[in-house]
Amino acid sequence: MKLGDFGTSYTKLLDLTAGDGTPKILPTKDLPPDLVVDWATGHNGKRCARHYINELIALARGGETLIAKPDFLLLDCGSRDIKFIRYADGRLKDMGWNAECGASMGFTIELLERYYNLDRTRMTVPLQTFSVTCGVLGMSDIFDAVIAGVPVAEAVASFVRGIAVNAHRFAGEPELIYLSGGLCDHPVFVGSFPCEVVPLGRSVLLSGLAATAARPDPQTS
Amino acid sequence: MTTDPMAGGQGIPWQRIRRAGIVGIPPRSVIAALNQHGAEIHDLDEPLVMADLETATPFLPTVYCAILRTAVVNALHCQLDAIFIDTGAGKCDAARYTAQILRQRLAIPLFPTENTDRERLGNPISTSGLPLLEKLQRITAGVKMAGPPVDSPPFVAPTASFWGVPPRDFAILELFPATTHVHGWTRCMENKTPADHELEMVTDPTVPTVFFAQSFCAKTALARHLAKRHPHGLYLDLDAHTTASAKAKVQAFLELSGARP
Repeated sequence: MKLGDFGTSYTKLLDLTAGDGTPKILPTKDLPPDLVVDWATGHNGKRCARHYINELIALARGGETLIAKPDFLLLDCGSRDIKFIRYADGRLKDMGWNAECGASMGFTIELLERYYNLDRTRMTVPLQTFSVTCGVLGMSDIFDAVIAGVPVAEAVASFVRGIAVNAHRFAGEPELIYLSGGLCDHPVFVGSFPCEVVPLGRSVLLSGLAATAARPDPQTS
Repeated sequence: MTTDPMAGGQGIPWQRIRRAGIVGIPPRSVIAALNQHGAEIHDLDEPLVMADLETATPFLPTVYCAILRTAVVNALHCQLDAIFIDTGAGKCDAARYTAQILRQRLAIPLFPTENTDRERLGNPISTSGLPLLEKLQRITAGVKMAGPPVDSPPFVAPTASFWGVPPRDFAILELFPATTHVHGWTRCMENKTPADHELEMVTDPTVPTVFFAQSFCAKTALARHLAKRHPHGLYLDLDAHTTASAKAKVQAFLELSGARP
C-alpha cells in the first residue's frame, strides 16, 4: 500500500509493502505527473490518491499512534501553515489550523536560508526575537536588522525564533509540545520554543495515513 | 405577541411598500403587516446580488461583519421601497450603526425596529433529521413569515450540534451529518424570539458541538466562551467565505469525535 503526504514544498512517500519503511522525500514541484498513491493527505494530495483525508485528521491519527498518551499537544509546522491538535483524557479537545495570517513561514525560512546561503545546523538560538506576523511581513525585520549591522545569520535566526514563539502561542502556550514537520530538524526553531519540545520528524502524517487505512471503516474527506 | 411601538404601524406607509428589505429579524407585527399588505420581503442578510462585497466599503469598514456588509450591498442594489432593520437586543450594536449610516445615505425610508417578541413558537426544524443546510435554509426563509412553518419535520436524536448564527457562506453546513441539531441564535430565529438570550445559551453537552460566529461579530466572545466550557466543543469563526482550513477543522472535528455523516 502506497501512502503520500503531499505538502506544499515536499512530498513524503511511503510504500508499506516494499522498502525498509523509510519515507522517500521529494520536492513537490518535481513529482511525476502520473503519480498515484492509495492514501494521501496534504494540500496537493487529492488529485494523486484513491483515498484522501485532510491534514488535521492525519495529524491526529499520527499522534494517537506515535505518542500513545491520553494527554498531548501535537504541532505540525509546514511550509505553508501551522496546525495543532490537543488531546485530553484520550479525546480530541482542541485544534487549530493557521493557513491565512501567519502563513508561509516554513517556506520563507527555506527561501531565506537559500538566498543567504546559510547552514541551519550551524546557526545558534539568538537572544533577540522578531515579532513575526507572517512570513512576508517578518522579512522586513530581517532586512532592517541587516541594514543596522546585525549579522545575516543572527537576523534570520531571530526571525526563526519569532516563528517558534508565534507557533507556541498559537498552540495555546503548552508546557510540552510534540513537534511534527520539516522544521523538526531545525536546531534554532526547536531550541526557540519557550517550552519542552519532542521532535517527531516528518513522517507523522504518514503514520496517520497508515492508521487510517488500517481502520475497519476508514472515512475519507 | 409583543410589538414595539414603532412597529405598531404609525407613520409607516404600508400601502406604498411593495418591496421591503429586512435586516435581522424585525418583530412579527412588522412581518405580519408586510404580509398583510402583500409586500415582497427580501432578507438582506443573505447574498442576493452578484455585486462585490467591496461595494459596501464606502459605507462600512472592510474589517466588519460580513453579514452587515452583505446587507449594505443588497440595500444598494435591490430596488426596494423601504428597509426594516432590527437594532435591538435580538441583533447587535453593529446593526444599529449600520442603520444610522444607511438612513443618511439611502433615498428610501429606513425603519429601525426592536424585536422583543417573547412567544416561543418551537424548534421542530432545529431538531429534525433534515440535512443541516436545509435546516438553515428553512429557518432563514422563515423570517419572511410571521407564523411558524406549516409542516414540522420529525425529531431525530442528535449526534452533533451546530451552535450560532446562520453563516454568511452556507458551504460549511454541508459537512455536518443530518443528525446535527441547531442551537444558538439560529434556534432563536426559528423560535421567532431573536432576543431570547436564555434560549441562545442552551447547548447540548452530550454531543460534539461546533460553536460558530461570524468573524468581527461580538458573538465571537460568547461562541468561544461556550466552546471552552463545553465538554466537546470547537470554536469556529468565518468571514465572507468558507476557507479550506475551516472546512478541514470541521471535517476533522466531526470525524475524530465520531459524529461523522
